[in-house]
Amino acid sequence: MQPTSRLFALLALGTALVSAPALAEMSGTLNLNGATGLIDMPSGDAQKDATFSFSTALIGPVSRATLSFQFSERLSGSFRFQTWRDWDTLIPGDSEESDRSIDLRYQVLKEGKIAPALTIGLQDLTGQGLFASEYVAATKTFGDKVKVTAGLGWGRLGSDGGIGSPFGSRPPVDPTGVPNADQWFRGEAAPFAGVEYKVNDNWTLKAEYSSDAYVLEDAERGLIERDSPFNFGVEYQRNPYMRFGAYSLYGSEFALAFHIILDPKSRATGGIVGKAPVPVKARPARAADPEAYDSGWVSQPDAGPILRQNLAKRLAKDGIAVENLAYTADTVQVRIRNGRIDAGSQAIGRTARALSHVMPASVEVFEIVPVVNGIGASKVTIRRSDLEALEYTADNATLLRERVTVTDAGPAPAWSLGDEDLYPKFRWSLRPVVRLSEPMEGDIGLRLSANYDMAPGWVLSGSIYKELVSNREASASTSTLPHVRTDGSRYNEFGDPALEKLTLAWFARPADSLYSRVSVGYLERMHAGVSGELLWKPVDSQLALGAEVNYTKQRDTDGGLGFGEYDYDIVTGHVSAYYDFGNGYLGQLDVGRYLAGDVGATMSVDRVFANGWRVGAFATVTDVSAEDFGEGGFDKGIRLTIPFNWALGTDTRRGFDLNFRPNGGDGGARLNVDDRLYQSIREYHTDGLDPDWGRVWR
Amino acid sequence: MKHLKLALAGLAAFSVLAGCGNDKTPNPMAAAVGAVAKTGMAKLKGQSAEAAPAAQPASPKDLRAELAKAGQPILLVSSTALGQTGFLTVSDAKGGVLTWATPDGATFSQRDGVLIQTRGLGFDLMSAQVPSVGQLRQVGTPYQRVYFFLGPDDQGTRRTYDCVTASVGTESIEVLGRTHATTRLTETCTRSSGGGKVTNEFWIDGAMIRQSRQWVSAGLGYIDFARVID
Repeated sequence: MQPTSRLFALLALGTALVSAPALAEMSGTLNLNGATGLIDMPSGDAQKDATFSFSTALIGPVSRATLSFQFSERLSGSFRFQTWRDWDTLIPGDSEESDRSIDLRYQVLKEGKIAPALTIGLQDLTGQGLFASEYVAATKTFGDKVKVTAGLGWGRLGSDGGIGSPFGSRPPVDPTGVPNADQWFRGEAAPFAGVEYKVNDNWTLKAEYSSDAYVLEDAERGLIERDSPFNFGVEYQRNPYMRFGAYSLYGSEFALAFHIILDPKSRATGGIVGKAPVPVKARPARAADPEAYDSGWVSQPDAGPILRQNLAKRLAKDGIAVENLAYTADTVQVRIRNGRIDAGSQAIGRTARALSHVMPASVEVFEIVPVVNGIGASKVTIRRSDLEALEYTADNATLLRERVTVTDAGPAPAWSLGDEDLYPKFRWSLRPVVRLSEPMEGDIGLRLSANYDMAPGWVLSGSIYKELVSNREASASTSTLPHVRTDGSRYNEFGDPALEKLTLAWFARPADSLYSRVSVGYLERMHAGVSGELLWKPVDSQLALGAEVNYTKQRDTDGGLGFGEYDYDIVTGHVSAYYDFGNGYLGQLDVGRYLAGDVGATMSVDRVFANGWRVGAFATVTDVSAEDFGEGGFDKGIRLTIPFNWALGTDTRRGFDLNFRPNGGDGGARLNVDDRLYQSIREYHTDGLDPDWGRVWR
Repeated sequence: MKHLKLALAGLAAFSVLAGCGNDKTPNPMAAAVGAVAKTGMAKLKGQSAEAAPAAQPASPKDLRAELAKAGQPILLVSSTALGQTGFLTVSDAKGGVLTWATPDGATFSQRDGVLIQTRGLGFDLMSAQVPSVGQLRQVGTPYQRVYFFLGPDDQGTRRTYDCVTASVGTESIEVLGRTHATTRLTETCTRSSGGGKVTNEFWIDGAMIRQSRQWVSAGLGYIDFARVID
């Protein structure tokens, strides 16, 4: 089994074991290419919004591994890694060929009473053209069991049974790696069709007429014999997360498919499990017990340490540390560090509940300041009487949010009481790690990490990585640019174990709405130096602006401290704009100078879910020409975070991160410095707190 | 072959090496593997992964006597969806709301016996607009019920129902060896949009709800409550 599929299988298994909700109505099913469709052909359907799938398919000597994401209700994309074995059957050379491809699909029409679902798709839109096709496909459902699809394809999907070239002839791909727009919908067009019959919730039968002649696999390389255009298959949906398929292809081949289908919007356990919060402690009515409201306690010298200690004890159960506490007779400000709860709102709710138990009755205003890397991210002000009154009220989340204010954190009050035990603090861990560079390629190893919190905002941290098993292919860089990234396999080979990083970082809030970071040291595996960042982000603003400047030298490949191997140093930097479009869509634009000295811009779009899932894509265009960049043409990729709490239903802030950059080169490469400011700060701003604000009462 | 090797090594690393250090953030990957293994084992043994039911004393009366020794109110809760039954004690009482807690940290809050919140169950009822006992007794008079949940993506959702109660008549029920004369009411709630129907049952004993079967959420369905000790 492939390492990624194993990993995803584990995640899926973890969730499947919990009694899952009933099977949701299936929108469309996946084909051998991991795209919505029939068997080898696409269809007009789309997946349910936000569906994330991982598909593996075996077609004789061809295997396809595909990650797909339904980015919005209509737009979906795929990233595919395809391997052809026995590549040297007819032509001597490598015995194996591999290719990466990217697809985009857009559903122009949703299925109506009469209208079919209509999708336009671009398959392998930037590659060297081994899998390039374009299509228009229409799918209509009859009753609740039968679906009929008909479509017209170009490229590979127009290679058998063509009806002529409506939009002119198809030019060859040049250069590779950039969108091949001049090829799209050019050349011979050919019709394809198919039918799906849903026997019951688990079983589906499929048959199709394919317009793909398999010229590459049959005529050119002799891998697959295409005797017939007809394909037949049966699919089995085991549960909402797993689907299997077995097919007869082209009259000669047998094919298998396995899909893992994940819905970021549905945590399998429903809500977060984990212990109920402590009830809010009610104060006695002021008229009944005026003495309880006496503010004399403020002047007692030992009140502060006792209160802080009591609060810390209560919050420790939720993994929350009390950075410091400041109070007057009617207001308390507590600075908290949330180490475990994945939702900021829940950490705030738990803190407020604890304060209701600890603080004397005269304290009416709770100011809660979540602290990230030693700096206050925002200040959430809750009136204690609102907390008391709304605890058991219907729609208490909405009502409380209307009464709560989220403002700039401001500086910590001068009279606040810190905790001597929090600083300095040494933390370390030794953990197994999976590092993937392709959907099926990477390594597994052990990472020894250590952190030394010297003072609020000052962190010394380092990590060492030792590889255990790897299936990476060593490849020598042929890049004509400085080898700022493409010597990756040398770094893996010669530096094992390697010092990944050793840095001193300083975080601060120079002014309202301004956040800063300075990192010095061995910043990442390949580069070391100084990195400085400044971020402007008002708490309730959808827009944030940032700037970063780095001066770095390239490190030796042996994983040590030296700089003798490369004589390369450079100043890089970017100005960035971040915008929250709402509904979980985040955009980012970075303009500046990259590691190889190239100048350009990076566009990225991420979709983030309240429960922590994050799927995004990015593309960088710089003044490096597509030829100099190499096979990929320009730097682009997808990134993905799957929070563990989604699979397990327990409180945890950790997650599984993937970052794929197909055919990444030296152009458009940025420094991989830790703890960039935007994401960590945003979590406690209104746009980060509001989507899952309801968890304040959890 | 090389993929297989990588996968096996990875699995071994995750299951054997849960990770160590003084950084107390749990390692969920190891936990996942552990959970998978545990459930697998339980299935092999032909039993559910849930804890086996506690040994039962000889008779309901003995059990009642045992429970009464604690000297505090006790609620019997049973859920088909969770496959669990338990005796709960009060963890919070204020403003007519009693919150009942299980030893493992789940809670049920009721206003005069009508369920308004749950916590720690996964598919929790976050809050609710519910009828009073007086309202329930006004047979035939329509009113609204509103349930508030967090969706699986943690966004807030609500379900609004139009409800009416009907009297089934007087019933004599037995709760843990003690007989109570009650009036049985059926509350029927229909959703104005989105479909769905909720039918709650209440057995009213004087001024209090002695026993009930109330809907909690789509994931948990109905839960049975009975006041064992007042």
